[in-house]
This record gives sequence, C-alpha cells and structure tokens, in this order.
Amino acid sequence: MGEVTIMKKRKKFAEEPNFTEKKSYRPEGVKETGLAFIGHEISEDGNVMNQFLHYDQLYTIRHGENSKFFKGLLEGKILGTRCPKCGDIWVPVRTHCWNLNCNLEKTEWLEMPLTAKVHTWTIAGWSGRSSLKRLPIVLVYAVIGNSNVAIANELHDIEPWNVEFGMPLKIVFKPEEERIGAVTDFHFKPADGWEPSPWNKEKERIQKLVEPVYEWVKTLK
Amino acid sequence: MTKKVCVIGGATTPFDYGPTGFESIEGGAAECIRETREDIPDFSMRDIDLMIYSHFSVHFGHQLCSEWIIHDHLGLVGVPQYRIENGGNTGGSALYAAALAVMSGHHDVVGVCGWETMDSVSQSQGSEFIALASDIRYELLVGGIYPIYYAAMANKWMKDNKVTEADVATIGAKNRNNAMDNAKAQWYRNEHKYITVDDVMNSRLISYPIKKYDCCLMSRGVAFLLICSEEYAKKVNPDGYVTIDGIGLSSCTIRAGDRLNFPGWTERYGKNYPGMTEFGACRSSADQAYKMAGIENPLKDIDFGEIHDAFSTSEAQIYKALYLADENNIAQFLRDESTHMHGQIPMNPGGGLMGYGHPVGATGLMSAIECFYQLSDLIPKKHLSKKTEVPDAECGIVNSHAGTGTSISNFIMRRS
Ligand SMILES: [Zn+2]
Repeated sequence: MGEVTIMKKRKKFAEEPNFTEKKSYRPEGVKETGLAFIGHEISEDGNVMNQFLHYDQLYTIRHGENSKFFKGLLEGKILGTRCPKCGDIWVPVRTHCWNLNCNLEKTEWLEMPLTAKVHTWTIAGWSGRSSLKRLPIVLVYAVIGNSNVAIANELHDIEPWNVEFGMPLKIVFKPEEERIGAVTDFHFKPADGWEPSPWNKEKERIQKLVEPVYEWVKTLK
Repeated sequence: MTKKVCVIGGATTPFDYGPTGFESIEGGAAECIRETREDIPDFSMRDIDLMIYSHFSVHFGHQLCSEWIIHDHLGLVGVPQYRIENGGNTGGSALYAAALAVMSGHHDVVGVCGWETMDSVSQSQGSEFIALASDIRYELLVGGIYPIYYAAMANKWMKDNKVTEADVATIGAKNRNNAMDNAKAQWYRNEHKYITVDDVMNSRLISYPIKKYDCCLMSRGVAFLLICSEEYAKKVNPDGYVTIDGIGLSSCTIRAGDRLNFPGWTERYGKNYPGMTEFGACRSSADQAYKMAGIENPLKDIDFGEIHDAFSTSEAQIYKALYLADENNIAQFLRDESTHMHGQIPMNPGGGLMGYGHPVGATGLMSAIECFYQLSDLIPKKHLSKKTEVPDAECGIVNSHAGTGTSISNFIMRRS
C-alpha cells in the first residue's frame, strides 16, 4: 500500500499582505450597532403599524490592483494607467485595457501631470446630507493630462457663474495630514493666469439661481 | 423560428411617497394581479408558468430576496421564478427577459412583477442609496447624487444642441400636467396642480441647469405585467392584446466621464460618440428594436411613447437618441411641443417618472403598462378622462434607462 500524505496546513493561494500602516479617522460616536428594532408606531384606528429597524455595518473596500491610485493620493500624486499595446491612458484607472483588440492587456502605471481641462460642468444647489453646508458646489468633469477619459471632482476658487467649457485647471491637494486616500484629497482650481470671460446673460441667470442657495445655507446649523 | 410576444394585461398600485394603501409588497403585488384579472377574467393564476421579479435595491427594504416573500404569497410555489436587477432599467430588463422566455417557446405565460419602497428611509438617505449605483470609489464622494451627474451631461448637451432651460422645462410641466389625469400618479395624489414652464424655471436649483421640477420623484409602488404567447393572448384577451414587435437592450460606462473615446462606441458610431452628452445605449438599443419591428422612420412610424424622464433634460436627450430629432432641429422640436398630447408624438401621456413616479423596480413596467393601455383602448377606463388618450394609436415605444445611461432598453409595441 502506498503512503498517503495529508497536508496539515491548508496551502495559501495568495500571500496575506502585512498591513503595517494603519490609520483611523472615524468620527466620534460612529459605531456598528448591527441589526436592531428600535421602535414602532400604530395608527389611531389601530389598522396600520410601522416599525423602525436600525442597521449599520463597517465595510472594507479592498482596492487590490487599484491600490496604487489611492495610495498615490495620500502622497499628493495622480497616477494613471496606460496600455502598452494601444497606448490609451486613463484616470480613473483601468488595470486592463478597454480596447477589445488588446484582449484585456494588463496596463502599466504612470504619474500624471497636475493639470487638467474642463470637459463639462455643473453647479450643485442640492446634494447629499454631508455636503449641504458647502453648497453651492461647482462640479466639473475634467481631463487630466492626456487621459482618454474625464474624471469628476470639485472646482474651487471661482464664482460659480464663471466656469467655462475647456478652461484650464490645476490640481491641488489637501495638506498631507488631512488626506485619506480618497478622491476628495484633491480638487481643481483655475490654472494660474486664467481670467473669466465678461459678464453675460447666462452668468446673470446662474447668479439668480444660486443666490437663494447661499441664503439657504446660512440658515443651516 | 421565434414566437410572437404579447402583452395582455397589467396594473400598478398607486405610486406615492408614504402610504399608498398597499404598503406591503406582497399585498401590493396581489392587488395588481386582482386588477389585471378584472380586465381579463379568463386569465387564471394557474396559467402562469414563469415569474420574473423586478427590484433594484435591497437597501430600501433591508430584505434580501424579497421576491421570495411575494412569490409564495401569490400561491405560486413550484412555479419557476428569478429576479432581475439592472438599476433604473430593472423594469425594462425584466420585460426583456420575459420577452425572451416567450420568444424561445419555453414559456407560455410570464408574469413580471416589480416594486421599490424608497420611502422606507429618509429622502437624503434614499438619494444616497441610489447614488451607490455610481462608482463609489470615484464619484459618490464628489457628486453624491445622480442629478449632479445628469446636470453636468445635460449642460454640455444643451449648449451643443442650442437647447435652452425653458425648452426642456416644457417637458417638466408636460409630464406633471399629464399626471393630473391619472389618479394613481404620485403628482396627482400629492402636489395635485397644473404647472407652467415658469413654475419649472422658478423652482429651486438642484444642479445647473436642472431645477426641482426638472427632476423625477422618489416613490413607493408595485407593478404587474402579463406577457404571453399569441395563442394564449387570443384565448384570454382576443380583442385587446398588444404585440411586442421589437426589443433592444444595450449598455454604456458606469462613469459618464469614460465615454469620451470608448473603442466600443467609436467602432459602432464613429469618433466622439456618445461623448458625455448622448445616450449611446439608448441609440444602440433603439437600433435593435427598430430593426426587429421594421421601424424605418421613427417619427412617422411610432405614435407615442412612455419613456424614462428621470429629468426633463434626459427626456430631451432620449428624443435625440431615438432619432426623433437631430442636432439641427431638436430645439425647434421642443418649441413645437411635438411630444405634448396635441403634438406629433406624445411622450409620457401617463405622467412618466416626473408625474406618475419612479419606484425603480416598478418604473419600466409602469411605462409598459401605460403603453399597453393606450394600444388596447383602456385609457378612458384607467385614466380620469380621454384627455391623455392618444387617439387611434397603433404603435408605441417603451424606454427604460439606468445609471447615467449605463443600461437602456427599448421596446416597440403594436395593437394586434
Ligand atoms: Zn490597449
């Protein structure tokens, strides 16, 4: 009878990364409570009942092959990727080429210049709860360097009505200690030397639309 | 040889934010089917041989596989079922799946049931849940809500096509005013008023150039639609059945900014299409549906539509994607009120997402149901008057749309 070898330890199929740099910036008072029924209400006629369920949960976003981009943000860099076959470049990054002829070619990383150009723009007068106090917010889709795609982010240091299609931008990072490795670590500003175009009808209309937003924000606590 | 696909009935609960009178999803589904049976009493629950469920976000109900609750409540144990999820195009995608099931000959009578319960969380939490369908790594944190992405796309589209804020505002007013003839519509049940273009123009800024009355509603609601073979249709609803003559489904990028030079589009439609302004997946799915249904001149061959007006701007963008107008005449097309009830091709006589409501999983089905009503002469019975009936309609289009145009389906329906 031949000998049977039983492996005592399960073979690992991928090396476990050793996470040595750990940071937490969770706001005070945020906890995972899991699932809990926390109340109910019943209508006066006794016919209808509502119940209140509370649930929250911590998620881990494992960036894996995309990690370089988000780690780059912590370092004040915008990293893009490029297909070695067809030469297309992307920010937001793609780890495999989008061109069907390239058959999911693995892409290579490159550092992008901190300059961009507005592709299109909008002025938010309403947003998610966490952003309300910062309204109105100018949001642009801009092309960074010679990327083949546009990326969304905020444009600061400009009167909302002065944004223009095609205007040149620079990328500005938050101070290093405030960065969290998310796209909010950077924003756009008008490129040095850029001047807004003269006053016109559309600017007047935009001003009329955003004035109540400024007033409304003042009423927020 | 594929089989002909027919629609023989369908109904929705009232759409609302807050109580509809049918708050439990399984109760709502049952009531939709009871209403369908009132229209076609010869249809029996025993005839259903496949159920397809249409539901977008389990976040709203905090119940995974909520279709299982509905399915056994309907008494359908043993009958095959599965659920489709495809963002705002969930309803359209479920209809697509049902059509394929019948076309193949493998199923004869397919029920499609959709719902969403968006009022189970606060409005701002609801907006955030929906925005989780944007790329959370790149877009959620900087835009946060869909109207902002749509506004950025619309702003450039309007400039490129010389369309003004007032031009698209006509759509926001039109759909809400149509909904005033529809007692199940959320606008009818809540704000309940006729509005003008000025009202839209003066409503609060959401994201330039989109204002409050350019935006659709967040809703609770359930819808049910019955799809079948022509043999079964002739048995149960011989005088009123409608045929689905063309179907199309297509896809685009999750992030709108990735559309500038996508090889998959440039090889189909040439350089710079769709860019961030056009809905490539709408054009591509319309191309498929038109070809299948033999539509050569959409503006002439189609009498009306029920389309995905998430925003008044996107309804206008959809007109162009469907070839109803091009960059030279889209502005005039809007100024001529071509899609109002008195226009050449009325759009959203049922009120659309802005008037009827947008409980995501039920929405595309609602559009298909309204299209069916028009083509089977049920509007006087289902609406409050004949004001929103498209007289002698022979052919309608149904459109369902997801993400920032990320998944889109189109259907051509004809009177039998
Ligand atoms: Zn390539």
